[in-house]
Amino acid sequence: MTFAVHLRKLLHGALAQGSVLLALCAVAAVKPPEASAQEPPDLPPCPSQAEKPDVPRLIQRIQRLLEGASSTAVMTMTIRTPTWSRTLKLQTWAKGRDLALVRVLEGGPRDTGMMTLKRDKQLWNWLPQAARVMKLPSAMLGDGWMGSDLTNDDLVRGTSLVDDFDAKVTGITKLSGGEAWNVVLIAKPNAPTVWGKLEMQIDRARCLPVLERFFDEDGRPVRSLLFSDFRSAGWRQFPAKTTVVPEAKGRETVLQYLEFQFDVAIPDDTFSLQRLRQGR
Amino acid sequence: MWLALAWRNLWRNSRRTLITVAALGLGVLAITFLHTYRESVYGQLLDNVTSGALGHLQIHAAGWQKNPELERVIADPAAAEAAVRKSLPGAKIAPRVLGYGLAGSGEQSTGAAVFGLDPSREQADLRFVTIAKGKHLSAAGQREALVGIDLAEQLGVGVGGEIVLVGAAVDGSVANDRYTVVGLADAGSGELNGSGVFLHLADAQAFFGLGAGVHQLVVRLAGGGEDVSRPTAQLQAQLSNAELEVLSWDKIVPELKATMTEKRKAQAALAYVLFALVGLGVLNAMTMATLERTRELGVLASLGTRPRQLLGMILLEGLLQGALGVAVGAALTVATVYAVGDISLEAFAKQDMLGIRFPSTIHLALHWGGLLQALQVALWTALVGSLLPAWRAARMKPAEATRSY
Repeated sequence: MTFAVHLRKLLHGALAQGSVLLALCAVAAVKPPEASAQEPPDLPPCPSQAEKPDVPRLIQRIQRLLEGASSTAVMTMTIRTPTWSRTLKLQTWAKGRDLALVRVLEGGPRDTGMMTLKRDKQLWNWLPQAARVMKLPSAMLGDGWMGSDLTNDDLVRGTSLVDDFDAKVTGITKLSGGEAWNVVLIAKPNAPTVWGKLEMQIDRARCLPVLERFFDEDGRPVRSLLFSDFRSAGWRQFPAKTTVVPEAKGRETVLQYLEFQFDVAIPDDTFSLQRLRQGR
Repeated sequence: MWLALAWRNLWRNSRRTLITVAALGLGVLAITFLHTYRESVYGQLLDNVTSGALGHLQIHAAGWQKNPELERVIADPAAAEAAVRKSLPGAKIAPRVLGYGLAGSGEQSTGAAVFGLDPSREQADLRFVTIAKGKHLSAAGQREALVGIDLAEQLGVGVGGEIVLVGAAVDGSVANDRYTVVGLADAGSGELNGSGVFLHLADAQAFFGLGAGVHQLVVRLAGGGEDVSRPTAQLQAQLSNAELEVLSWDKIVPELKATMTEKRKAQAALAYVLFALVGLGVLNAMTMATLERTRELGVLASLGTRPRQLLGMILLEGLLQGALGVAVGAALTVATVYAVGDISLEAFAKQDMLGIRFPSTIHLALHWGGLLQALQVALWTALVGSLLPAWRAARMKPAEATRSY
């Protein structure tokens, strides 16, 4: 009996959900802190007019836009698979890149109230029916997220587009109501990333990606992220809707922000493990 | 008369005959003992397998064996069970659920295979686990768990402790709950002992949101045996449900069946090589025996004995030696098997073969099939070994033969 194979395969399924939850932390964590409508002076400007913009500076700008100090948000997450679909309502708190908490506000009878805490590179789950906290084993952190729509790498380490990739503009794509630069990012040798290549379409007017395609080290496509429903918060714009489409089979995960607040004061004990253990 | 003559001839050089008989006997012993040992091991292995994780047969939702997804359940296990009882009277049936998740205790957590089983159906010669410590699950689902002995060690949990399980339920929700560890389980393989958590069937069904569905109906036949193609066909005919699949143990672990077949072939080849050597010994002995008696055989021929009769007499001598060899070998085998009795494989006890625990003690049971095979081979060997000398003796010219000293 090939239990090991079944185990691995099905664990991925079991963890897929967790990973999507956790990925939200990353999305939430990258919301900007500044409330001012004025762009910070040291932010590289958006080179909308350039046919071939300076890609490293463009990506720096995007990363600055998508990196922040603290935020809270309420969102729905809709997961569609060939056999089931469900929608969860989530609340997230995030502080920097290292602290995040997701709480399931509305879900099934057994997972409403579930919480996932990210501290540095470790993840804990509060399990409401078991009324216990379980730490995610590090072996799962290392390789366990592959069956999911978002990878563990998104959350715990986070690939640095600037440091880990060589990027260049390869052309222009017409979008409905605008144009986008096609940018190809190739992983540098020995870069600590799970991806071999990324293809992005970056909206010229907003300087924000509308599509990202991820390829593994063998050049096979793994998943696509689609960004839409752009909203403004202070000087920033950000996509309120993210659709994750894995290459594998009929799955899809849609994140839709309902409320968001940036640059808010979040008490430190929000991310305390003791507090998580009490299920609050 | 020819028989008596052949018999008397045998003992004219009794030392040589005894040596030939001993060679044949030892050959028979080697073959039958190896055969007996091998078949005893297989018998026991098969018994272990069919009384534990696999059963002789299993019923699944169609396609489950190939792709064991959580949602592929036997929706109406009661109907399928009725079909088993009707087509295979006396068979035992154990319903089981198989899913996966994370098991945690305290700060430790790791991936686990989560099984649901009905303790009242898991008994005697059909039981997935043996209890290494503590007790079995209660008759009704009371959120109790058995934990594989190695997994328990890894998680640092013992009898009376608590284990938390998380997994994905069939509707996509996050299944999570905690269970009291009532016992540590030995599931008969290192893999299962290191990853298995065993819940009451009802608890597992609730955990994964399966309703009344189960993944396996494990069937242990009353008679058993290695070839279960007939009961498989009978059950298939009775079920006649395209939603379900019936698989015999050799389809579930084809590697095991293939290994057995392979080893049997290899040993048969060994047997033939061994007897080819013994056959050369027979040839040598009979050649000597006929050469020594050239003159005498010439006299017999001169007195009117026909070549066919000479041929028959010498072949008979060979056959008699063969028969004696078989008798000696069989006696030696029986004596050895009963003297040895059980063979302890304690040194290998922790080893698994293809995910199946190797039996730690082999009880040797004489296999008449092996003896019969050795009997045939030994007689043929003796016959073929004496054919050439007999042929030569029959064809020699009496005049020349009588002149030789």
